Amino acid sequence: MSEMTIHLKIWRQARGAAKGNFETYTVEKVLPEMSFLETLDLLNEKLTRQGQQPVEFDSDCREGICGTCGLVIKGTAHGPNPKTTTCEVRMRHFRDGETITVEPFRAGPFPILKDLVVDRTAFDRIQQQGGFVSANTGSAPDGNAVPIPKIDADKAMDAASCIGCGACVAACPNASASLFVSAKISQLSYLPQGGPERGRRALLMIGQMDREGFGDCSNHGECEAVCPKEISIENIARMRREYFKGALGGHDRKAASGD
Amino acid sequence: MSKILDAKIPSGPLADKWDRHEMECPLVAPANRRKFTVIVVGTGLAGGGAAATLGELGYNVLNFCVQDTPRRAHSVAAQGGINASKNYQNDGDSVERLFYDTVKGGDYRSREANVYRLAQLSMGIIDQCVAMGVPFAREYGGTLANRSFGGVQVSRTFYARGQTGQQLLLGVYSALSRQIAAGTVKMFPRHEMLDLVIVDGKARGIVCRDLVTGEMKRYAADAVVLATGGYSPVFYLSTNAVNCSATSIWRAYKRGALFANPCYTQIHPTAIPQLGDYQSKLTLMSESLRNDGRMWVPKAPGDKRRPADIPEAERDYFLERRYPAFGNLVPRDIAARASKVECDAGKGVGNTGFAVYLDFADAIKRLGRDVVADRYGNLFTMYEEIIADDPYHTPMMIYPAPHYTMGGLWVDYNLESTIPGLFVAGEANFSDHGANRLGASALMQGCADGYFVVPRVVAGYLARGGLGKVTTDHEAFGAVEDEVRKRYDALLAVKGSRTVRDFHWDLGRVMWDKVGMSRDRAGLEQAIVRIRELREAFWHDVKVPGEAADFNKQLEMAGRVADFLELGELMAMDALAREESCGGHFRAEHHTPEGEARRDDENFMHVAAWEHKGDGQAPERHVEPLAYENIEVKTRSYK
Amino acid sequence: MSTFRSHVWSSVGKKMITGLTGLLLVGFVAVHLLGNLTLFIPDRGHAFNAYAYFLEHAVHGWLILAFEAGLLAVFGFHIVSAVTVAWTDKRKARPVGYALVRNAGGKSRKGLPSTSMIVTGLTLAVFVVLHVKMFKFADHPSVVYDGKEMKDLYAVVVAAFKQPLIAGLYVAVMGMLGFHLRHGFWSAFQSLGWNNDRAIVVLEGLARVVAVLFAAGFLALPLYILFFVDPSVSGGHR
Repeated sequence: MSEMTIHLKIWRQARGAAKGNFETYTVEKVLPEMSFLETLDLLNEKLTRQGQQPVEFDSDCREGICGTCGLVIKGTAHGPNPKTTTCEVRMRHFRDGETITVEPFRAGPFPILKDLVVDRTAFDRIQQQGGFVSANTGSAPDGNAVPIPKIDADKAMDAASCIGCGACVAACPNASASLFVSAKISQLSYLPQGGPERGRRALLMIGQMDREGFGDCSNHGECEAVCPKEISIENIARMRREYFKGALGGHDRKAASGD
Repeated sequence: MSKILDAKIPSGPLADKWDRHEMECPLVAPANRRKFTVIVVGTGLAGGGAAATLGELGYNVLNFCVQDTPRRAHSVAAQGGINASKNYQNDGDSVERLFYDTVKGGDYRSREANVYRLAQLSMGIIDQCVAMGVPFAREYGGTLANRSFGGVQVSRTFYARGQTGQQLLLGVYSALSRQIAAGTVKMFPRHEMLDLVIVDGKARGIVCRDLVTGEMKRYAADAVVLATGGYSPVFYLSTNAVNCSATSIWRAYKRGALFANPCYTQIHPTAIPQLGDYQSKLTLMSESLRNDGRMWVPKAPGDKRRPADIPEAERDYFLERRYPAFGNLVPRDIAARASKVECDAGKGVGNTGFAVYLDFADAIKRLGRDVVADRYGNLFTMYEEIIADDPYHTPMMIYPAPHYTMGGLWVDYNLESTIPGLFVAGEANFSDHGANRLGASALMQGCADGYFVVPRVVAGYLARGGLGKVTTDHEAFGAVEDEVRKRYDALLAVKGSRTVRDFHWDLGRVMWDKVGMSRDRAGLEQAIVRIRELREAFWHDVKVPGEAADFNKQLEMAGRVADFLELGELMAMDALAREESCGGHFRAEHHTPEGEARRDDENFMHVAAWEHKGDGQAPERHVEPLAYENIEVKTRSYK
Repeated sequence: MSTFRSHVWSSVGKKMITGLTGLLLVGFVAVHLLGNLTLFIPDRGHAFNAYAYFLEHAVHGWLILAFEAGLLAVFGFHIVSAVTVAWTDKRKARPVGYALVRNAGGKSRKGLPSTSMIVTGLTLAVFVVLHVKMFKFADHPSVVYDGKEMKDLYAVVVAAFKQPLIAGLYVAVMGMLGFHLRHGFWSAFQSLGWNNDRAIVVLEGLARVVAVLFAAGFLALPLYILFFVDPSVSGGHR
């Protein structure tokens, strides 16, 4: 229960402002069992009391499932530990007196709204292009009507556990969204329900990903390493297969172009 | 004058009520649907499901959420599973049994007709979710897998690892995405509803704050659906997300909607204990852990030995001892209270003494580490990151934490509040769980309300007609927007010395100590006085930095805490008025000699619904009597 | 805008082109390496020169033309798509960079081979140009074998590699080829979608082997010539 003093070098950027800059703040009485975001809370309490502007950052569930939080801490998206989101990072991983650089997720398609808060609605627009099964409410057959091999269901679940936090984009040297997009395409490609729309889905979602201005994937694999849900880059390979099949399949291509 | 509320339950046999009601609900022709606009606030299972389904049907839907994307609604955090009476396991499950378990689990304080409808709809939910690509856990044969949950003796819980809520929500989100692309649903993320607009006695719109620009915006519609979740963060520390709030439903309450059973709160037995006062939340450990974990404390009070050093004979597996029939899988309220009893007797473990063990040693011995890891691996990892201890070797430490609120806006069978045209779905309403919710039933209710009930009943409301054209230029919108603006300007104008969190923390302590797991008259009376003081202090001494027309998290929180400071008092008043113990509401004055909750069916077999009478005035308590025609009301026993 | 062409030049299409052309180039380099190995035969370049003569004259010289045209296209697509991916698209996608970047480690494949692809690749491209200039578009001495006059490319090689600077640069460039293949080889399969969690283990192992074999195969030659070949001695070998 030893108290630490932590220096935070944080990116500050006013809303709509073109330029931002780093400010360094000191937070005392940080406990090792505190979460990183609780340390930022503590800083904000201090700043508020001192009449300064608190640091804006996004967070919600604070247990690693909602995908709201996302900071680049010490040069790594979601901080130095694998398999965790920013809200799950604990201060015991830092040293007393350490200066920690805190930056927002940086990518052209993730414009900064204020300080450490970025706009990730590009992900929503990609999803809207085809990240679904077109099954209206009430049209479903019995849940056990189509057996799905456990291994496929498990693979689908591995991919589906994506929380849409955007760390893959943040960590990618090219700011590519491939891991995010591939997780959804891959999930639905493992399930028979996703079958009828698979080619069209891949073409449309990847088309939107490109229009949003994300970079191309160079297979560095940083995304997988920072992914809090350990989504594998094998999904990216699978996405490329789906895309190839979609691009060759004339029917799907027509559907994707809206003919 | 206190009213007797009419729930508008359809006549006829229980099993036929919903079918008949669907038949009797007037419809809107496909070509006319796009002429109607429906506002849906919230994008969780209830809100998102309703918005997507209404969109599919062809209505013009405006959907709002405070999160940066609809995929992050708090349904995402539900871990364990979703119930459905499929009877795939051939263990005797049925609609009747799910209905019975839920009414009993709710301690006979829920509405029979609603619960029966929920049980009926449960099966369609699973089918729908499978069709949308939700990757539920499966057996090697390819069929859907089930597990057990608290308070029942069948395996009816469908799950997707420890992330069932996330997967169901992503199903909703995908349906919503499809409708957004189709143009039927217009999505407004980072928008917080701050008030309800009523025109000619009907809900006709909302006023929102754009959380990015701070701009106040008005939206008009023909009907408004609130699906904004529960109000557990009134306790400050809860398992809920930090942005969960009561603001939408509280504003509707202040505009005339009745608030039902505000004191019914669920304290979940298995959360990671509080470690310090810096904390922003408590992390839940899924109820599913009690399938294989055994809860125990040392037999001797004050025993501070390490768990491994305490021999078997000196351990008290208190749930197994007290409730041999259900053992570790008793309902949440029972398990939470039992833990509290042990800790209050000095047998609590950990540094604070406010924790009990949840031990997997036997399960690991029986099933092997791999099976346990497959079932609960993600939860174990979460626990280890927070506590820095390995639950595969040392028993988990857990303690109850505020988790879910059964209370909410009062709605009739049509999920319509006392304000015509204002529908309330999911955790935001009070309707299905009585005084205690069973595990894996929240997802069931959210999906049932969202996918199946709201689209039908809203259509019925719209089809009945009588809705004139209303635009945001109507004077009612101007008046409401002015009020909201003034309230937010006032928050910024206080410029006091204490932060929003200071007040929220203080309120949370009062609520937890006096309106928490055990309540008594003196404590509740003190709580009411204390909350009033806090509220007074808040409006004189709160310090909110920044500006209204900017991204301003502190201002958002200030608005929410201001509402919690009012809601907390109503919760205490409701708890005070309910002179009995039932489900999650335990009054220390009312218990059996063995310490179990003692209901007073004669005087309290009713829903209490509170009416706002103006600031500074006492709210009025109305009742909806509960009639049990299909179920025999008994003393709840899990022994 | 969903034409076949737009699919070919999408983010995924570009990677497929890079991967496919990359694998073709690996094939080419493998054949080239086999040809080079004839230089180790102690016959004062007879086999090597004869092999070059065969290549130039097979099918009345049409074979080499067809191959060269194909190679040019493969190189062209490989370079253009890779430069777009790793340079222009990358700049656009992250206009403001980080103050501090650390490799995540763990399962990440990011490292010097992957981050230097553009540098090693462009260096190799420059090398190829110089290499072609040297062996195709320059005057060469000739040699007569069995009454047939052939270019004495062997003499060109030996003359070049007897200069330590050129030999050293060549060794460095071939080292870069190894680096390029270390990431590029498995990455090509990933880009083409021919990968999964089990295959990646094998492919990454193969990439290591290919990288070492190719680099070693090529850079052994200048070292061999520099230290072991005496051009003044008949047969060329000490």
